[in-house]
Amino acid sequence: MYRQLNNEQELQTNQHLAAEKARYQQMALTLDRRSFATQIRTADPKTALVVWRSSLDLIGALSMMPDDMPMLPETRDFPILTGGPDKLHILTGGMVLTRYGPVLIATRTDQLGTLIDRFVNAAITALMLTIVLTLALGYLFSKAILRRLVQYNRLSRRIEKGEYSTRLPVSWRQDEFDMLAGKFNRVLDTLENNLNAVRGATDNIAHDLRTPLSHLRIGLEQLPQKRPEELDEACAILTEELDHCLATFDAMLSLTRIEEGQQTLELQPLSLQQLCSDLYEMAEAMAELNEQQLVLKTDEDFTVMADKYLLFQAFFNLVDNAIKYAGEGAKVSIVQQGNQVTISDNGPGIPAEDRDKVFDRLVRLDPSRHNKGTGLGLSLVKAILQRHNATITLGDNQPGLIITITFS
Amino acid sequence: MKILLVEDDATTTEYVVKGFTEQGHNIETASDGHQGLLLATSMSYDLIVLDRMLPQLDGLKLLAALRATGDQTPVLILSALSHVDERVKGLRAGGDDYMTKPFAFSELLVRAEKLMQRGNSLPAHTELSVGNLVMELLTRKVTLGGTEILLQPKEFQLLKYLMEHPNQVISRTLLFEAVWDYHFDPRTNVIDVHIAKLRRKFEELGFGELIETVRGAGYRLRQGH
Repeated sequence: MYRQLNNEQELQTNQHLAAEKARYQQMALTLDRRSFATQIRTADPKTALVVWRSSLDLIGALSMMPDDMPMLPETRDFPILTGGPDKLHILTGGMVLTRYGPVLIATRTDQLGTLIDRFVNAAITALMLTIVLTLALGYLFSKAILRRLVQYNRLSRRIEKGEYSTRLPVSWRQDEFDMLAGKFNRVLDTLENNLNAVRGATDNIAHDLRTPLSHLRIGLEQLPQKRPEELDEACAILTEELDHCLATFDAMLSLTRIEEGQQTLELQPLSLQQLCSDLYEMAEAMAELNEQQLVLKTDEDFTVMADKYLLFQAFFNLVDNAIKYAGEGAKVSIVQQGNQVTISDNGPGIPAEDRDKVFDRLVRLDPSRHNKGTGLGLSLVKAILQRHNATITLGDNQPGLIITITFS
Repeated sequence: MKILLVEDDATTTEYVVKGFTEQGHNIETASDGHQGLLLATSMSYDLIVLDRMLPQLDGLKLLAALRATGDQTPVLILSALSHVDERVKGLRAGGDDYMTKPFAFSELLVRAEKLMQRGNSLPAHTELSVGNLVMELLTRKVTLGGTEILLQPKEFQLLKYLMEHPNQVISRTLLFEAVWDYHFDPRTNVIDVHIAKLRRKFEELGFGELIETVRGAGYRLRQGH
């Protein structure tokens, strides 16, 4: 803008000087020498400063005529001294040749220069004001952001110390910080849920591991007092208790790994019909021992992509449970029809209100926990089936329990 | 037989060394991966028992390095990682068998001997006999004291495995793997039930004591009376 203004000024000066040049050339042609001198003497200094070098001396507004001035339209800046308050002036001008001799036509450009200076001053002031204002606003704004960060920091420290119910504030603004806080809060929700689940299971774990561990402790304490011939038996009993602890421990680890998807499945095509006949073959002798009748019915084979061992483990667990809990003389059936397998018995069944609970970790419907087992079996079954995109539902077999597994 | 044990845990090392030495095997040990690899590549062994997690050089990496040299010595991996996928990783890396810690030495011995036998090709048996128990493998005919007993397929496989390892304690896990080819701890009495059926058939002929239950460990087929 400054440059534009400067150019504009130069253009105006040049036009003005060109006009004056034309005027004086015209005057020299039409007027006689004296009238020309009068015109020059009375020229309005506001339009142009004119000096004429007549044969005798200088006539006009200036008392000097600088040498080597170019011919108009070429111009040159030159300084002059005046008696006024602004002692030094800058003029722009050029020479014109007339009938009566050379005439210098000049105009003051420093007035326009002052204008430009004022403009520049104003621009600088505005710029400074803008900078100051921006800095002030930025400072205030950053202080507000900083305050939120300090607050987040303080709250995070509280969470770190164990106050897991703490949440970050989310304002109505819905800006990036709120989105971050919202995300952080959702992560905290998940973490807190998991923590609570673990806490809930802790009592059960404590019970399940403490009992065999305390048996072990008692047994070990008593070992030195055993007679030599009793030692083998006593050690074997302790080993069994220890193996039970290890089994519970392993089951918990596998459950976590399968539930969280850390365990990579070895998927291969598996025939459900084959799976069920393997199941039948393995469980038959067990049912026989309980004087139970085990029945296998298969129809319309279905192939699933499955981890053979894991899936078999899940199904075997269900059949094993049915045989264990249905009671002597019961009838246990394994029925496969397409993508659906049902395992049913005519034993006591599970009351409707307890059916969801059986899948929870370490929950046993028998509160005294007398039955040997890890209490993780059904949680494991459910986790394995979920990884195989299968659903499991428990129902009433009237009488007894019917478990339906459906593959998608 | 000459065995190399690569294991960093001193208690386990002592336990395994004592066990193999008592069985008349010659056993050398290495307590870290580098030493293990050095020994394995510079000497010749009939079996390497390798811990999965070792200082300096991980067991699976050691195994991969060993196999890369073309060494086909049978390797049994010991690991505290019990997950099925860990087992698969171990076998893929070139392991021949995989055992989870803690383990009973009797089970390690059975697995180790099986792997060492594989190296020297014994003439294939057509008949197994332990005491007065005789099993013809081709006709699947089993006689006890001269009297034929009828066995179901799974009972036959169970008895075959026991007869292959007479007088040795065989864990339920080993039997389960041998008969059903499923690798998981059944935590159930499925093996006991089958053994009970087998035992009842022996009892009828007056040999109920032949299969002995070893509490906390497994079963043992007695060689005599």
